[in-house]
Amino acid sequence: MEHEAPRTSPGGPSWVTPFDRRFLAGAEPFTRIGDGAIGGKAQGLALIRERILSGLPPGTFDGVEVVVPTLAVIATDRFDAFLDRNDLRGPALSDEPDDRKAHAFQRADLPAELAGDLRALALQLRSPLAVRSSSLLEDALEHPFAGVYATKMIPNNQHDADTRFRRLTEAVKFVWASTFFREALAYCRSVGVDPGREKMAVILQEIVGRRRGERFHPDIAGVARSYNYYPTGHAKPEHGVVNLAYGLGKTIVDGGTAWTYSPAFPKAPPPYNSLRDLLRQTQTAFWTVHMGRPPAWDPTRETEYMRRLSVAEAEDDDALRFLVSTYDAGADRLVPGTGVEGPRLLDFARILKFDEVPLNALLRRLLQLAEQAVGAAVELEFAATLDPREALPARLGLLQVRPMAVSEETVEVSETDLERPEAVVAASFVLGNGARDDLADVVYLKPGRFSADATPAIAAELEPLNRALLEAGRPYLLIGFGRWGSSEPWLGVPVNWSQISGARAIVEATLPQMSPDLSQGSHFFHNLIGGRVLYLCVPHEGSGSGRIDWDWLDGLPAVAETDHVRHVRTPVPLRLRVDGRGGRGMVLRDERPAADR
Amino acid sequence: MAGKSAFNPYDMARAQFDKVADLLDLDPGTRELLRTPLREYAFGIPVRMDDGKVKVFRGFRVQHNDARGPTKGGIRFHPQETADTVRALAMWMTWKCAVVDIPLGGGKGGVICDPHNLSPREQEGICRGWIRQLAKDVGPLVDVPAPDVMTNAQHMLWMLDEFEAIHGAKYPGFITGKPVGMGGSLGRTEATGYGLVFTLREALKELGIRPDQTCASVQGFGNVSQYAIELYGQLGGKVVCVACWDQADQTSYSFRKASGISLEELRSITDRFGGIDKGKARERGYEVLPGEAWLTQEVDILMPCALENQVTGDNASGIHKRVRVLAEGANGPTTPDADQVLKARNVFVIPDFLANAGGVTCSYFEQVQSNMNYFWEKDEVLGKLDVKMTSAFLAVSELARRKKLFMRDAAYVIAVNRVAQACKDRGWV
Repeated sequence: MEHEAPRTSPGGPSWVTPFDRRFLAGAEPFTRIGDGAIGGKAQGLALIRERILSGLPPGTFDGVEVVVPTLAVIATDRFDAFLDRNDLRGPALSDEPDDRKAHAFQRADLPAELAGDLRALALQLRSPLAVRSSSLLEDALEHPFAGVYATKMIPNNQHDADTRFRRLTEAVKFVWASTFFREALAYCRSVGVDPGREKMAVILQEIVGRRRGERFHPDIAGVARSYNYYPTGHAKPEHGVVNLAYGLGKTIVDGGTAWTYSPAFPKAPPPYNSLRDLLRQTQTAFWTVHMGRPPAWDPTRETEYMRRLSVAEAEDDDALRFLVSTYDAGADRLVPGTGVEGPRLLDFARILKFDEVPLNALLRRLLQLAEQAVGAAVELEFAATLDPREALPARLGLLQVRPMAVSEETVEVSETDLERPEAVVAASFVLGNGARDDLADVVYLKPGRFSADATPAIAAELEPLNRALLEAGRPYLLIGFGRWGSSEPWLGVPVNWSQISGARAIVEATLPQMSPDLSQGSHFFHNLIGGRVLYLCVPHEGSGSGRIDWDWLDGLPAVAETDHVRHVRTPVPLRLRVDGRGGRGMVLRDERPAADR
Repeated sequence: MAGKSAFNPYDMARAQFDKVADLLDLDPGTRELLRTPLREYAFGIPVRMDDGKVKVFRGFRVQHNDARGPTKGGIRFHPQETADTVRALAMWMTWKCAVVDIPLGGGKGGVICDPHNLSPREQEGICRGWIRQLAKDVGPLVDVPAPDVMTNAQHMLWMLDEFEAIHGAKYPGFITGKPVGMGGSLGRTEATGYGLVFTLREALKELGIRPDQTCASVQGFGNVSQYAIELYGQLGGKVVCVACWDQADQTSYSFRKASGISLEELRSITDRFGGIDKGKARERGYEVLPGEAWLTQEVDILMPCALENQVTGDNASGIHKRVRVLAEGANGPTTPDADQVLKARNVFVIPDFLANAGGVTCSYFEQVQSNMNYFWEKDEVLGKLDVKMTSAFLAVSELARRKKLFMRDAAYVIAVNRVAQACKDRGWV
């Protein structure tokens, strides 16, 4: 498949100012190192600066400063030089495990023309840096590679410049290596892109946040989308949706628990049956850059300098009282702030309900500007800090903008359709929109063998099946239990995207003991949407409408079978219909006589 | 030591110094101290030759000034070595270390001999004999030698071994230019050539010229030149002409290809003296021109990376009007007469002791690593080298702009001033 470099001029990004070795002190907060392309993510950031922030004159939202955090982009020519001069292309595209590739990249030498720039940066800067991927294909409209490549956060606060320089170069090499990790290669192949053509620019960016002891993180991280696939209550899809979390945005993009609301109804809580239910689903852990004693050295680990901490550890943070409510058990109600003892709920109440910071209005305006600039539905990633001592002025850093793939295809599935006898799967909750008639392979988890403690083993069993089907060029339907791609094994099967990348449709069946909410903020889900993977959610009996015809599936002969997983092939391809607007979907077997087909 | 009549480098070095001393208005005591070496050693080195006879070689070491740190400089094996050459080179080392702001003084040494006519065992005898004569007057905290003309890593290891045997301990920081794995530094091979291009890159930035829109002509095809061509190419520049010495014909030739030379191609047809095979070059589409032709090419950049006295008052007028930058990879390639022509033509000159200081800077890095017995990755070496060279260039160019000085004079002013200040701070003057 031919891909153009997104929005990159043929002669290189000459419009981006060259890096002058003064990072924070430079006149220009957006610079480039090298003459190649700057990649999709950096292009998105440039777009924010030029087309979105320009529509937001200073002072528009009282007390909130909106910025693209200072950054320098290492262009793709440096990536090419690194690969070519160290003969890394062969090993990079091989089947070697990720850690071996990462190690080979660590051992290789930086291009001489880059080493000095990084050294100069390390000499002058002593605050945390995000080292982020920005590949040519990343964030392209057709195939958003969200979360496929690595981002590494480094504290960059070591006393001596040599150590800061080494940690910085290690992070850059790690992000380069992630271009060729198993998940990335699988993603490329699944969407028909030659991974050998991918090029990786790297963004070195100031992290929006504040230091608190050994922690450095923003007070609020978020993802705002201008289109919502899961509208609830009075919200409509075009109202969009926002996920907010305390700490670094990794909580959201990894599919962890965050606060989700509609920008049209910021005061409406998520649809839970009771406050107690709401409390059970609140964010309890957050990610931070670790600024303290150096951890065990492991440059090939993405979270080397990150820590996941309990929100309780941030109880004394001055900003937290603006972000949480406290459950008053006696009155069975929520009290904004941390003034009373009790369980905390991260519901951002004083900001969303009482407008102490005009965050929601700002996000709505930004989504509007971003949609105009991109010409499509968009997703914005941001991070913000509050300063409670100064009447809550906030600094909001925009970290990414990317177009969302919203299908316009008209597919209608009615309530009565769901009752059709030939429906192998009927679902009244779907993700995506569209139809396909080419799926003859079904991979499903055996209901009788499934248990929550087997989910890691199931993930491992799925990988070879997925690889074999990918290699055979056979798209398939995947059926399982719990939240696919969950980072928490007791909530679902903890696969990464590469382990199921050949699935073109996925069914998620809930069980009474495993009924998590779908995770809208995660990269996993974004990849599903971007890859046009259709998603159907079937609740367990008694909790909603929908069903799976397990008997019919069990009656098909197995092509392959493992302890927990079965692969079957239907004689005639299945017909899949997902009605995104109506929120219903079904998979139909073909019961017509052979002569009528 | 044989004398040479026409050109005396020590006279030239002192004349240059005097000019800068005037600019800086140095007091007489400081002038006297800096225009002559602090210490000079001359000695005999008896070596039993392979034929059983004993031959005595003359050895030298000059420590010009150590106010800023241990003296540093190469050891040359050359049949025409002169005391004044060594004195001049030691003085230039002082300025070179000072201009890139590394905490070292300047030194130089040599032995009158021709290694081509000596067996390895005889050369080892000279190396060990040189150390035996100077073991108490050199060392990691005193004076740190390095390879130079016709000496190499093997010679350094013999000298190190002898030094350690005499002192009864390991002193890897005593000498630099050691092989990687035996105390040598990664990046040392590339350092001089890369350092040259780091300064060239900064000069082009200052002139508002993109490297990928330039072409260059280079004299020399040795280590400095090859790595300069490599990095310049990586920055997008195109080398269209290379000149080098032909050992068989005892003359030099220029090899030209308008579409740009290929470094790998030329390396593959180069002998061990750095001479390019004429016939094979012609087969690969190169024009073979007279040796001086490199200087008159229509290019933006000239890089003399071979010998001293190559751009002179006589031939400087032949430099094409397109030339904007002359980056001196060699020591003393441009005569004062030629400087006048370049000034008049507004050619931006990156003076030798700044442009080719990458080598000594990386030697200093090797010394530091050896003293710590802890060795850096290549990224770290080249990153530090780039920052050092860039900082040095910026300091010189900024002074040149501010005081309206020629780049060479500005570099001298910075270097001499730093050394003079160190002498003053120590209470010497």
